[in-house]
Amino acid sequence: MSKMKIVLCLLSMFFFMAVPVMGQDDEGEDYPQEPIIFTKPVKAVIFSHKTHVEDNGLDCDSCHDEPFEMAAGTAEENDDFNMEALYEGNYCGQCHDGETAFASNKRCTLCHIGVKGYNRLQGSTAPEKEKKGH
Amino acid sequence: MERREFLKLGLKITGVIAGGSILSVVALPEKEARALVDMETYDGSPYNPHYCMVIRQNHCVDCELCKEACVKTNSVPDYGYRTTILEKRLKDPEGREFSSFLPVLCNHCMNPPCVRVCPTKATIKDEKTGIVIMIDHKCIGCKTCMAACPYNARYFNEEKRAIDKCNFCLDTRLSKGKKTTACAEACPANVRVFGDLADRKSEVWKLTHEPDKAIWVLRPETGAKPVIFYRND
Repeated sequence: MSKMKIVLCLLSMFFFMAVPVMGQDDEGEDYPQEPIIFTKPVKAVIFSHKTHVEDNGLDCDSCHDEPFEMAAGTAEENDDFNMEALYEGNYCGQCHDGETAFASNKRCTLCHIGVKGYNRLQGSTAPEKEKKGH
Repeated sequence: MERREFLKLGLKITGVIAGGSILSVVALPEKEARALVDMETYDGSPYNPHYCMVIRQNHCVDCELCKEACVKTNSVPDYGYRTTILEKRLKDPEGREFSSFLPVLCNHCMNPPCVRVCPTKATIKDEKTGIVIMIDHKCIGCKTCMAACPYNARYFNEEKRAIDKCNFCLDTRLSKGKKTTACAEACPANVRVFGDLADRKSEVWKLTHEPDKAIWVLRPETGAKPVIFYRND
């Protein structure tokens, strides 16, 4: 019986220790949990707030309202929202310059998920139009 | 202990090779070191212009504007394709998933298996350009060419009642004076470079003959000798 008590004691300790750790997430600033998907000028580019905030320690001020407005899709409406602008240090290129973060002309498909990636995210259950074999 | 030392030594050597400095360790003839495909075997081809395509594979982001342009230009139905993009899912060292995209189309082979098997000579290699073309009215729809093609580049077009495939936009664009295919023109990343391999001043010739760039083709073991060349930058 005493063993059971010890086990229970340890379990409850773990439980109470875990609570404040779990609570930290709630205290953090709010950001969209779902990835942002850009479809202009090409389909499609993925941006994850989670990766940038949690893994890389950025906060809202890092990107808002410069270079990106809070409202999703605003940058997409600009004619200069393209790779050329990124290479010149605008938009994502402000950090993705090869020093702060990986350069904009490297690792293309980490962000460019393509039409296939877009369809995957949409949970498209439509059958593949392409014939897989003969 | 001796065995361990020996294995360590082996690791060191293979490490050097994996690091890409094999050329300095083993003296390879320049030709072999230069490319996975020996471009010299394409010299002296009977075609002029000899149309081909160089695909800078790692620049493809699967935007599929090439597919859209092809469908529009060549009236491709939704149950078939003349060109498409294949995808392979990979993981980077940090465990994040990403894709590698591979544009594919008819390889306009020098030794085309489809042409060899066609019982009615409905698919032939154009004598001037080397483009593998269809003569629709000769096609009986037996689909033997589909089975023979190593690249899955053919489909049966219900409306034409014939096999359909990429012909480098020969009828829809090249014959009308345009210099490139619809897919190459539509590509925003310049992944598809179309041109004349017989012209040593062309971009495709230059891209396939840079001494330090590896060129590869799909399924070289078939001996079909394709003219869709792939490279990375």
